[in-house]
Amino acid sequence: MKLDRRLLLSFDWLWFLALLLLTAVGLTAIWSTTAGTNLSYYLGRQLLYLCLSLVVFLVLLYFDYHIYADYITFAYVTGIAILGLVLVVGHAVHANKSWLNLGVVVFQPSELMKVLVIVALAKYYAETERDYLEVPELLTGGLIAFGPMVLVMLGGDLGTAITFVPIYAGLSFLGGLKRKHVVVLLLAAALILPAGWMMLKDYQKGRIQTVLNPSSDPRGLGYQPQQSKIAIGSGGFLGKGFKQGTQGQLGFLPARHTDFVFAVLSEERGFVGSISLLGLFLFVSIRLLRTCREAKDKIGSMIVMGVLSLFLFHVLINTGMVMGVVPIAGIPLPFVSAGGSSLLASFAAMSLSMNVNTRRFVN
Amino acid sequence: MVKLQLESNRQAIQQRLKWLFPPVVLIFVLLGARLWWLQILRGSEYARLAEQNRIRSIQVVAPRGPVLDRDRVPLVENRPSLNILLDREMMKDPSATTAFVTQKLGISADNFAAQLRRNKRAGTYRPIVIKEDVGIEDVSVVEAHRREHPEIQLGPAPRRLYRFGSLAAHVLGYVGEVSEEDLANNTFPGIQAGDLVGRSGIERVYNQCLLGQNGVREVLVDSLGRELGQVAEKDAVIGGDLQLTIDYDLQSQAESLLAGSVGAIVAMDPRNGEILAMAGAPSFDPNKFSSRISAKDWNALNENPDRPLQNRAIQNTYPPGSIFKLVMAETGLDEGFVDDSTHVICKGSAAYYNRVFHCWAETGHGYVNLEGAITHSCNIFFYTLGQRMGIEPIARHAKALGFGELTGIDLPGEQRGVPPSPEWKQEVRGEKWFAGETISVSIGQGPIRATPLQVLRAVSAIATDGELVTPHLLLHAERGAAPGRWPVEQLPIKPESARKIRAGMWGSVNSNGTGHSAALPGLDICGKTGTVQLISAERKKELEMDPSAVESHAWFAGFASRDHPEIAVVVFLEHGGGGGAAAAPMAREMFRTYFAKKYHPELTSQGSAHASGGEAR
Repeated sequence: MKLDRRLLLSFDWLWFLALLLLTAVGLTAIWSTTAGTNLSYYLGRQLLYLCLSLVVFLVLLYFDYHIYADYITFAYVTGIAILGLVLVVGHAVHANKSWLNLGVVVFQPSELMKVLVIVALAKYYAETERDYLEVPELLTGGLIAFGPMVLVMLGGDLGTAITFVPIYAGLSFLGGLKRKHVVVLLLAAALILPAGWMMLKDYQKGRIQTVLNPSSDPRGLGYQPQQSKIAIGSGGFLGKGFKQGTQGQLGFLPARHTDFVFAVLSEERGFVGSISLLGLFLFVSIRLLRTCREAKDKIGSMIVMGVLSLFLFHVLINTGMVMGVVPIAGIPLPFVSAGGSSLLASFAAMSLSMNVNTRRFVN
Repeated sequence: MVKLQLESNRQAIQQRLKWLFPPVVLIFVLLGARLWWLQILRGSEYARLAEQNRIRSIQVVAPRGPVLDRDRVPLVENRPSLNILLDREMMKDPSATTAFVTQKLGISADNFAAQLRRNKRAGTYRPIVIKEDVGIEDVSVVEAHRREHPEIQLGPAPRRLYRFGSLAAHVLGYVGEVSEEDLANNTFPGIQAGDLVGRSGIERVYNQCLLGQNGVREVLVDSLGRELGQVAEKDAVIGGDLQLTIDYDLQSQAESLLAGSVGAIVAMDPRNGEILAMAGAPSFDPNKFSSRISAKDWNALNENPDRPLQNRAIQNTYPPGSIFKLVMAETGLDEGFVDDSTHVICKGSAAYYNRVFHCWAETGHGYVNLEGAITHSCNIFFYTLGQRMGIEPIARHAKALGFGELTGIDLPGEQRGVPPSPEWKQEVRGEKWFAGETISVSIGQGPIRATPLQVLRAVSAIATDGELVTPHLLLHAERGAAPGRWPVEQLPIKPESARKIRAGMWGSVNSNGTGHSAALPGLDICGKTGTVQLISAERKKELEMDPSAVESHAWFAGFASRDHPEIAVVVFLEHGGGGGAAAAPMAREMFRTYFAKKYHPELTSQGSAHASGGEAR
């Protein structure tokens, strides 16, 4: 198969550069927070994941995205099977049974499942010729999105499970929702919420309560958001400098190179750095929006829409969480947080979108 | 394989995406605004919080100043110890902490909860003490669990060491965590919940002089509370020396004399009111309070019917018995009721107001003048004098000599007693004065109560021609507390009257009087005995009570020497029997110790006191 020259020409280098920049920022954060302890281990591992992710990125980019749509049923079913397997033999990290130990690497299949769900749902919705979705389609689509979600939830990873909701919402929105369906869906959500609340564990309820009332429990469940806010706020305008953030360096921040990496960066790089980081995310979001609009076919738009929904949700929840406006949930910051599965899934999803983007003029 | 997108479909999607653009941008604007709020608007506040996060101030408790006797023999010092502290800012899961301290450190859940409650208002940046003076087992438990329980810490705390155990315990008092009452009243300026303060005795009265200045160590810590390094240190400064008027040798003599009895011995310099010894029995070991006292020890002290915590010298009042005859004599002489010719014939008993009153000598003293009446403690003489004078001058002179008045000693909780006064009885008790009571009061019984110190102070005034001193314990405070002003009041006692009374008292000790057991060869000791009968001899037989419960109280008060008084002593023994038999010999030993030390310092224990201190406790 010969690489089409036009593919190279229409490849959005700026977009790709933004992704690499985000990843690089994440690497400096890992450097800064683990320098005293285990730098080579964490940084080396992340670099390894980056290489792997870039390979996956290029491979996924090389083939036309329609091919993936053709094989998605198989991939999706395999994904479900693996999720089921994880439930049985999963490797528990922080009481989450969502990690699969593959000998050398511990892997989190749920991260990749999100990408599979995006493609599967995109394909399913794109097949309708109507410009809106009917009830059976919404229900089937719900099954496609929420089947894996239930499995992930059973594994105990509520944060990851919730990310299937924006995928379903985003794609359904783009597929076309009738007003009455929106009402019904919102009603259903309203009904599920209290039931969901009851199913939450006490610490999860507490996390939600501390967002509503930050000073309620500063030593307990309010500790992490409070420390995180202190980290961000104390960064001020210019930040404390590389490796100078006391909150991150002295261990007041939890999960400081993973879920709370934004707080570390905000502390060390200040408002200038954190707003720039947000700017990068906004840039990527707008690129996704544009690709969604310019995609040459419905399935392309649908895939990009799914990626956009997932991406936005991750950014909003993660940064909102460290800024103390959203309850703490184990949701990583795309490209920035340390963690192989997340990085791989982010690059894979972005590769699909750029795949759609580069082929927007190609028939 | 791919269907081309239908135009209508495409338009619908374009339409929907237009709707999507503003909310996406809005999300980022809101996130950016939040960043602006946190980092720019509230930045300095969070910067301060971050500073506090990493720099932890650790209070270094300053040792209290040592308490010394008048020869600078240390009575109270400090010893190092470790406390277990709870840093509430580090406590993430109170229930886990509670489980840890109850299961591993043996602190009862109730005590722990109470301690938390007590310190609720105190700043959380200050760790609170949850267990004091811990041993090696607790230390290793805390050390072993530093990672899981960074909130549980060890803190050095100097602890009070009362070198001679219960010696002078009532005078020295003890320390403990400041009470809520004292906090509310701001008794000790600058003291916060959890601080140690004097709870009684000298420790309490001179708390501010003894307090040191706590130091601060500022250390850099991580979120696990591990110290990463020291930023700054301000050393703790030990509190000032406090030198007491107490003489160790005299005090320990008093303590050993009282061993096994219930009572009090006080020795004072009658010229200036300096207390040389003040002992009470039973007593207690204040060292038990320097750690948090155990419930068992506390109950034992509180439920003991002999009330070991009471300082009998100033907190218990008793009828002064025959010692009050000195006040009667002074009143009689200075009011002109008695002159050299005044005498009675004592037949052992006499009737007053249609009631028969007895002399202690059943066969009577025969011809008795004032001097003889004091020497032999003749009741009939003073009954007669009391009847002649009436209560009014007696009440007036008793008050002047300090009966019913606080002596002003620098100790907390002094009692006033009951003055022999119709006004007082009317005001306080709402009862009328009966003429018969005047007869009883004439020999120091009936409605009259005084502390041993009040008695001693009155007798001292006789010794010094009417100089009424303010008894006190402070000789010199290195720091704080303006040097005490201890006023000496000159009473309108004629020197001639005082001399006559002293002659009677000299006779009591040296001329075959009731106090002869107090005599020491070569010393002109003056004294007066007192025996407070709680119940008449006949009644005693009738009641068939435990004889020790109704045994008389024994008194002796005296001074030496007659012409140059420099030490006055009072001995009081609850149910101790006769004053002459039980109390006077103890007073003699006090005088012996005093003068032996004065004239032969090399023979006494002052040198050995220093040496024996090490083995105390």
